[in-house]
Amino acid sequence: MLEGDIEALKGAIAIIGYGLAAIGPGIGIGIVVGNAITAMARQPEMAGTIRTTMFLGIAFTEALALIGFVLFFIA
Amino acid sequence: MDQLILATECDVVNEVICAPDDVKELFEFTEVIFSIGPIGVTKTIFLFFLAAFVVVGLLYFGLRKRRMVPSKFGVVIESLLDFVKNDIAKDIIGPEGARYVPYLTAIFLFILVGNLFEVTPLINFPITARMAIPAFLAIVTYVIFVFVGFGRNKFRFLFDTVWPKHVPIGLRWLVGIIELVSIFLLRPFTLAVRLFANMVAGHLMLTLLLGSGVIFLTSFPEIGAKALVGIPWFVLGLAIYLFEIVVSVLQAYIFTLLSAVYIQSSVHFEH
Repeated sequence: MLEGDIEALKGAIAIIGYGLAAIGPGIGIGIVVGNAITAMARQPEMAGTIRTTMFLGIAFTEALALIGFVLFFIA
Repeated sequence: MDQLILATECDVVNEVICAPDDVKELFEFTEVIFSIGPIGVTKTIFLFFLAAFVVVGLLYFGLRKRRMVPSKFGVVIESLLDFVKNDIAKDIIGPEGARYVPYLTAIFLFILVGNLFEVTPLINFPITARMAIPAFLAIVTYVIFVFVGFGRNKFRFLFDTVWPKHVPIGLRWLVGIIELVSIFLLRPFTLAVRLFANMVAGHLMLTLLLGSGVIFLTSFPEIGAKALVGIPWFVLGLAIYLFEIVVSVLQAYIFTLLSAVYIQSSVHFEH
């Protein structure tokens, strides 16, 4: 195979890998935010605490997608 | 115009978006602006010190005259400081959080200013999109929470992490390994990568969309009606621009919040 073909193939695989890495965190953030909204609707007086915890949950979940994004550039 | 690196390479006749040929060009400004003795100052280092001076300036001018009724600018600065003190330090760490308020305030304001450089006209470069800066800040947090953990709990901090007593004995070694790797390796790594990757992603999107928009619109004489492709790119770029302001503030908040959570887990280490 030519050198350019291998480079193009590596790029394509990296894009697919990033797409795969985004699936899990996408579902996860959806669950986190959805449940936080339910909680806030049930107990509006706790909204501040719930929002802080929600951001924490998002931050932890999001890390996997971001590692995939970084690997996309490294690969 | 050195930001629009795509301009020289982009084939506006055949392409619909101007993707950069080599992404590394976006992140490596190695040319030295000016040098002090043997030390060359690049754009990143210059903006790094500029961010530090901006933070000091904000605090100095915001808190210079403490009056009963502060000025509008003073109110903004005071509410920011109150936010870090009450909503982050006191809420997360508890009453002992007062000791860590100066550190948390410093990193919050520094990251906030550094992130907002991304959407500041004429600068348009988030210093936190260089791995060295988030990595350094994450290492400082790491050193603090490890030292606090060992200082308060002596070696129980390490032993109870690798041999947690509240877990059934069959699983203890597995949980111990996971906890050890997660606390001492993954925490600082993800803390740094989270900030870095968010800012890189934002910077990349802005460069791609606004750059493509400008290039297509300015090459109207050569390609005629196809130049209209630039309009949706530019509009989308402006929408992302607003979104990036939110992301900048949110990432500064999350970095500070997670630092506080990690310090809290060392202060109240109960296993």
